[in-house]
Amino acid sequence: MSRGSGGGYDRHITIFSPEGRLFQVEYAFKAVKAAGVTSIGVRGKDSVCVVTQKKVPDKLLDPSSITHLFAVTKYLGLVATGTTADARTLVQQARNEAAEFRHKYGYEMPADTLARWIADKSQVYTQHAYMRPLGVVAMVLGIDDEVGPQLFKCDPAGHFFGHKATSAGLKEQEAINFLEKKMKNDPAFTYEETVQTAISALQSVLQEDLKANEIEVGVVVKGNPIFRALSTDEIDEHLTAISERD
Amino acid sequence: MGDSQYSFSLTTFSPSGKLVQIEHALTAVGSGQTSLGIKAANGVVIATEKKLPSILVDEASVQKIQILTPNIGVVYSGMGPDSRVLVRKSRKQAEQYHRLYKEAIPVTQLVRETAAVMQEFTQSGGVRPFGVSLLVAGFDDKGPQLYQVDPSGSYFSWKASAMGKNVSNAKTFLEKRYTDDMELDDAVHTAILTLKEGFEGQISGKNIEIGIIGADKQFRVLTPAEIEDYLQEVE
Repeated sequence: MSRGSGGGYDRHITIFSPEGRLFQVEYAFKAVKAAGVTSIGVRGKDSVCVVTQKKVPDKLLDPSSITHLFAVTKYLGLVATGTTADARTLVQQARNEAAEFRHKYGYEMPADTLARWIADKSQVYTQHAYMRPLGVVAMVLGIDDEVGPQLFKCDPAGHFFGHKATSAGLKEQEAINFLEKKMKNDPAFTYEETVQTAISALQSVLQEDLKANEIEVGVVVKGNPIFRALSTDEIDEHLTAISERD
Repeated sequence: MGDSQYSFSLTTFSPSGKLVQIEHALTAVGSGQTSLGIKAANGVVIATEKKLPSILVDEASVQKIQILTPNIGVVYSGMGPDSRVLVRKSRKQAEQYHRLYKEAIPVTQLVRETAAVMQEFTQSGGVRPFGVSLLVAGFDDKGPQLYQVDPSGSYFSWKASAMGKNVSNAKTFLEKRYTDDMELDDAVHTAILTLKEGFEGQISGKNIEIGIIGADKQFRVLTPAEIEDYLQEVE
């Protein structure tokens, strides 16, 4: 009689369960949700925008030290949703990798290459017992010279896809439903529409009106492909435009 | 291969002599999207469903069928991230062969080396088996060939095979329709009909992928437009 569950370790390290599942990977996905933050990314005709919640759990905390938006290079942004410590290590490694790429090949690492590298590293953690998968979903954004605006999402299982719009975190599914409706006919959003779609998606799934200091917004735009975080004033302008529109 | 902290194999024999991790890996393959391959008299075709988790995913960014060398292509059923590792390793092995012998690697050799990698991961310390089965399609001096490689590392040459969710229906369908003197075009039609059998929803050029290799020994993935043409011929 063969033993069912591999000695019961299939929940502790990334070996297969009897149904062919990897429990550790599934638990990593749960850890992403447990962080309690939702992020949204939208790709427009010539820009990409990401929005993420900025939850400051304690009034004594310095809010400027809390961020989920990271510049991997001047031109590539990364939103890390999930456990903050895992996010930090991922960003450190990604920054290192992108810098080495630039040095080795003489040109900037494209968004899809970075996404693939992150995904391949995540795959290694799902196959080797010595490292657990990271509890982070990473969204990579950038403007590609040949293809234009790019938005990639990488998950703890090692999957990565290009997206027209996507979400990660606690309210991921609700946000994706909202975005599917908005992006149904392949609209080619302008910069303003891209940012406002992203912000209003977040407002809709959180079911509350957001203030400028409760969210972080990062953009890359074709004419000036440097990744930057919007200031609270700029975020306020967009929030006002959204509330006037509705 | 093997991690120093885990210098013991995670895939071990059960009292009945089974390697259960490999069986679980096969279960993972069996819950993956259907893919199939058919060897014709003058070429090979491989095909797979390409069902994406949301319409928001840019389907142009996803390609499941991959080219290993100019005359060898591969498709998988099972865990996508695992297949990327095998594709990368196989490409490197093919390149190393070429560097040594100044010759294109024969299909059987590449399959054998890929299978050896998969076997390693069923025995080395601290790693789990790959959760994919591969269908390798190639055309070399020995003619058109189709091989299936399983997570255990065992491989067989097939006239036609299928893997993934709908495997038993697909294989029954292929058994009925297969003839030894099929031409590549007929094989493509049969592949499409087989995929259609178990397909949930409307089949189109955007939710399946087809790769072919003919007597020109150039493996290529069909564009969605070309797939639409074949779909119309099949209607």
